[in-house]
Amino acid sequence: MTKHVGYVPEMKRNWWLKNRYFMAYMAREATVLPLVFFIGCLLAGLYCLLQGQESWLTWLEFMQNPLTIAVNLLAFVASLFHAWTFFQLFPRVMPLRVGGRAIPAKWIILGQWCGVLLVMVLFAWIFGRGV
Amino acid sequence: MTTKRLSIQRYLPEQRKTPFRQEFDVPFDDSTSILEALNHIKEEIDGSLSYRWSCRMAICGSCGMMVNDEPKLGCKSFLREYPGTIKIEPLAHFPVQKDLIIDMEIFLEHLAAVQPYLINDSGESTETHRQTPAQLAKYLKFSDCINCGLCYSACPQFGLNPEFLGPAALTLAHRYNLDSRDQGKQQRMPQLNREEGVWTCTFVGYCSEVCPKSVDPAAAVNQGKVESAKDLLISLFKR
Ligand code: SF4
Ligand code: FES
Repeated sequence: MTKHVGYVPEMKRNWWLKNRYFMAYMAREATVLPLVFFIGCLLAGLYCLLQGQESWLTWLEFMQNPLTIAVNLLAFVASLFHAWTFFQLFPRVMPLRVGGRAIPAKWIILGQWCGVLLVMVLFAWIFGRGV
Repeated sequence: MTTKRLSIQRYLPEQRKTPFRQEFDVPFDDSTSILEALNHIKEEIDGSLSYRWSCRMAICGSCGMMVNDEPKLGCKSFLREYPGTIKIEPLAHFPVQKDLIIDMEIFLEHLAAVQPYLINDSGESTETHRQTPAQLAKYLKFSDCINCGLCYSACPQFGLNPEFLGPAALTLAHRYNLDSRDQGKQQRMPQLNREEGVWTCTFVGYCSEVCPKSVDPAAAVNQGKVESAKDLLISLFKR
């Protein structure tokens, strides 16, 4: 008998539209798009800062454009969504044990969110002081 | 007794080059499984219908098929769960030999590649190897796999590249690596470290969703990534 008798089904380009798990996966992967924009903004800001006052002011203006703000807000929401999916997956990738006992996934997820909160408070404190 | 319609994908290579659909009405009650419905068709309506089964109790893993686009065990899915016509196809991502019978060769090759058995050269071969409940708990969940292949049909990465070792094989590798009685980890790691090993997985996670034995292959594969990263790091320092 020859190997692979019969036919091999092909995977179409839109395979990920087939069910909600694939769509959720694609949404998770797509969060990178607005984040790339955000990183582009940061790098452009650094570059403009080095170029002198005039280009820095142009950059500031660009950052205040409602469209820029909207995409950056989207990037913020996307990063929170990505964090949410990542935190959900983390306990399955790194099941933590203390004294031979598994720590419940719920606690690990909660711990991660506490970390996020802590970082946000820290940032607000550092950058809030100057205002 | 009421009846339900099954729309089955047929593939009869000796008659036609391409698969086609055929509909059958089968009598059913609350306890009728998809597998029983297929048996009814084969016995009463069309003897040429081909599919695999053996235990009809979700143990042997032979009766995997796509039911309404989801990978399912025919013996563990019931007609009552599906309103309307039920669409039945062979497991996705595998070559089809006839009707619902797929060619599992590549799956078996991947399984064999990870040496899924205890490798232990120390001591007498007749010696019993003791294990504490805590040591057992580390891999127990991953040892429930029945090699049904449903997770491969749920894995788009395997669909795109059949060379990917895939969820069940990588889970088995991890299962034996975690076993305190096993010493074969060094022999298995090269398989995990390969590009078609753990790193092809992008954690879609659907494999764990469809697994009829709640093995959670996605977790095993991604724990394998942690192990693989550790292994690569250690090998860097060893040089
Ligand atoms: S991991 Fe689950 S779905 Fe995959 S072959 Fe094993 S029992 Fe089947
Ligand atoms: S017949 Fe054995 S698993 Fe379904």
